[in-house]
Amino acid sequence: MEIVVCVKPVPEADTRLRVSADGRTVDPENVKFVLAGYDESAVEQALLLKEANPGSKVRAIAYGPAPRTEEVLRAALALGCDEAIWVEASGDAASDPVSAARALGPSVGGLPHDLVLCGKQAGDDESGLFAGALGELIGAPSFGYVTDLRWDAGAGRFRFQRAAEAGAERWESPAPIVVGLQQAWNDPRTAKLPAILKSRKAPIARAPAPPAPGDAPASRPEKFELPPPRTGAKMIDYATPEEAAQKLVKILREEAKVFP
Amino acid sequence: MSATVVVIAELVDGRLSGATREAIGVARSIPDATIVGFAAGSAAPSAAAEFGRFGIARAFAAPDPRLDTGYPAAVARSAASAATGAGASVVVVGGTTFGRDLAGRLAVAWNAAAATGVTELAAVEGGLRVRRPVFGGRATETRRLEGARAVVAPRPHAFAVPPESPANCSVETLPPADLGPLAEPKRTAMESAAAGSGPGLTDAAIVVAGGRGVRGPENFHLIEELAASLGAAVGASRAVTDAGWRPTSFQVGQTGRTVSPQLYIAVGISGAIQHIVGMVSSRVIVAINSDNSAPIFRVADYGIAGDLFQIVPALTAEIRRVRGLG
Amino acid sequence: MTAEQESLRDAARKFARTEMAPHAAECDRTGRFPEEIYRKAFELGLMNLNVPAEHGGSGLGPVEQCLIVEELAYGCGGMTTSIIANCLALEPIILGGTDEQRTRFLDPFCAQYQLASFCLTEPSGGSDAGGLTTRARKDGSDYVLDGEKCFITNAPHASLYTVFATVDPALHHRGITAFVVPRATPGVAPGKDEDKMGHRASSTSTVRFDGARVPAANRLGDEGEGFALAMRTLDQTRTPIGALATGIAQAALDHAAKYALERRTFGKPIGEHQAIQIKLANMAQSVRAARLLTWYSAWTIERGGKGTLESSIAKCFASDAALRVADDAIQTFGGYGYMKAYPVEKLLRDAKLTQIYEGANEIQRTVIARELLRGYA
Repeated sequence: MEIVVCVKPVPEADTRLRVSADGRTVDPENVKFVLAGYDESAVEQALLLKEANPGSKVRAIAYGPAPRTEEVLRAALALGCDEAIWVEASGDAASDPVSAARALGPSVGGLPHDLVLCGKQAGDDESGLFAGALGELIGAPSFGYVTDLRWDAGAGRFRFQRAAEAGAERWESPAPIVVGLQQAWNDPRTAKLPAILKSRKAPIARAPAPPAPGDAPASRPEKFELPPPRTGAKMIDYATPEEAAQKLVKILREEAKVFP
Repeated sequence: MSATVVVIAELVDGRLSGATREAIGVARSIPDATIVGFAAGSAAPSAAAEFGRFGIARAFAAPDPRLDTGYPAAVARSAASAATGAGASVVVVGGTTFGRDLAGRLAVAWNAAAATGVTELAAVEGGLRVRRPVFGGRATETRRLEGARAVVAPRPHAFAVPPESPANCSVETLPPADLGPLAEPKRTAMESAAAGSGPGLTDAAIVVAGGRGVRGPENFHLIEELAASLGAAVGASRAVTDAGWRPTSFQVGQTGRTVSPQLYIAVGISGAIQHIVGMVSSRVIVAINSDNSAPIFRVADYGIAGDLFQIVPALTAEIRRVRGLG
Repeated sequence: MTAEQESLRDAARKFARTEMAPHAAECDRTGRFPEEIYRKAFELGLMNLNVPAEHGGSGLGPVEQCLIVEELAYGCGGMTTSIIANCLALEPIILGGTDEQRTRFLDPFCAQYQLASFCLTEPSGGSDAGGLTTRARKDGSDYVLDGEKCFITNAPHASLYTVFATVDPALHHRGITAFVVPRATPGVAPGKDEDKMGHRASSTSTVRFDGARVPAANRLGDEGEGFALAMRTLDQTRTPIGALATGIAQAALDHAAKYALERRTFGKPIGEHQAIQIKLANMAQSVRAARLLTWYSAWTIERGGKGTLESSIAKCFASDAALRVADDAIQTFGGYGYMKAYPVEKLLRDAKLTQIYEGANEIQRTVIARELLRGYA
């Protein structure tokens, strides 16, 4: 089985977030970038499928700036991926998942691919857009929120579950498919020290990003904000409990914009 | 200048879902928008006509039975045709797994910029400006969706559901799209989520937590009823779990779970630092406590000082009333 | 730091925070020996750090070892003691074994999860190692060992012991000889796990040798070379103890600093009260100095230096610093710091051992003075 795993460098989960000098994005200074959480599951699932189907190959690919993107590709290699490909991005071009899909589409399409795996969403923007956009670009079906992904070699079909709000959907599909993975069969493995050391010297292939057409729609970051420090509750005046309830619900809807 | 906004329906038993109604609310928030509906699948013609309940006069139906499973990759082709046919500049999908999967495909199929989990939306020169939580709710980003076309999905509970104002909706039927390999995947089974099991504590959009002020396990049902009215998860302070009124899995705090929901309602919780650190990154915090000098009011956004045994039932009743839960 | 060193440090940090730290309090409370965690450490290559790669170890130099040990100790000092006890036990084989012995002992040992113990200390003397009394009587081509060792890390679980015994007490330290003794040898009996103040996830006991027969092929170096081998071993292993103490100290500092921002008294976070600020400042200086002394020692050894002076300074300073910093951390937490439900009191109990084992700090000071004066002679 030929598997391509798309990974993304994101700030480590418990990083203290700061706003960049231009106010538009998270400040990358002193931030450790790691494989996005669900991407770890995607790599794990790819490796499990490789182990279950001898002769398979797992290629990791990522779109992003130096040096963080190279770092996460090395992390993917240390876990057991066979090859790594880096499509370099400049500035915050990689911050839009649809642009990332457009940047990786030609490379992914050009690699042998029975299965294209990525995490269901990245740890930073959490949009869940990537898998669908990539699937449309390479002309393959795509599914997000996938758990329990299996390959039925006899029937030549993938069988998997999709965690929708209404419940668990069971699907089957021939290859190739693009999957936004929610859960692998196991918890992601940890890289061993010898593999980590070996990955530091491993070659990483480079591929160019396709030029964006002049009128391409774009999503650009404008502002990145941390929540303002809290200054104390607005106390609600009331004469009866019913009045308190009505006032609170009204405030929640109109002021706080939380619509229960 | 009027913008045409297409709302993609998600159907539950052939009717427009709650998420679709929220999507209509999103479309309504765009000034001067002409809203057009879209529904796919065997039930599409009647579902499309249902858009009329919200004053929407035009809708597209793609009555292709292959689209009954709501498989986004297949729906995207027809949805893109509808959006192009309507001359739309914005497409709104539901804030659901279906909506987000569809948004990615549409962004490419319809050549648009896209954003999901949106909490605020504004039309600006050359596109849309959106605000959305990122990093698990610990920060907010504002993005410009530039270009002639945008696809948006809201964050659940962030936009008001519009009131009904019936109008006649004329439905245009679309021919089946050419799906190619996208027609291959088949849904083989559908297992409904267990009824009555609310959202998990750490993923929930709304959390209602009870503390020592609830006075005993026999009163905790007040917290649970409020949570149920909101579709919220139930949490507790350490005092409650140490006393055995609820299992430790309910504990929010330094030695329990950390949560960051849209809305956290702390009932009868004094606000010791050990609890605060577990919920302080919630977007909106409401505190209900009989002691108006309780530390919880320092971190809450809104507070009600009073007797929770009166306030909470009144709040539950009011929520049920506005949500039409009867 | 090179990118390689950062990767190693990050891998150790991840292991410490996700695998060790969540179980640290429970193992401390119950004294449980978390074999499953030690197995994972082995599988990830975090054990046997000093063993050359051609013999199945991780083959890491002193600097890399310090980076890893500090991170592990941040997760739990006790678990780290058991993890690095292998390094201590195997070092005499690496330094003093013939090529044949190294292959014979190290290769199978490192091929699977196992533990080893370094057996020097006796009831009659720890600091006075030269005065040890365990006898190694020559009998044909074997030696027969009789005696008792105590406070031996990992002893109840070890499959291999590196034992220092004397062939002739009259020769004092010049009679001491080193042997590799498999657990399965008849006459070898580890004792019961001791109930310790700290490092409770680590297992410590006596080891009795009663007529334990060991082939001469298991002797490391010649008769009488054991004491020097033990000292050369400790020259290598002292520095990582400095790193272990630094890890404990850093954990204490982190807890105290975060608490100082959250806890409010007299209307403001306690981090704004000068008494706490001075404490935190002193703690930060101590941790920083401990780390740098440890790194300097490791760097010196990596460059081929003997490292006795530098490693003694590092171990002595870092362990004293860890105790001070942990104490200050408890004080910062106030009453809560005294409660077992909070993580800081464990750090004080764990820090204390670092002043005592691998050469008590009193001995470190005499070593430092002696080495120092040698430089002026």
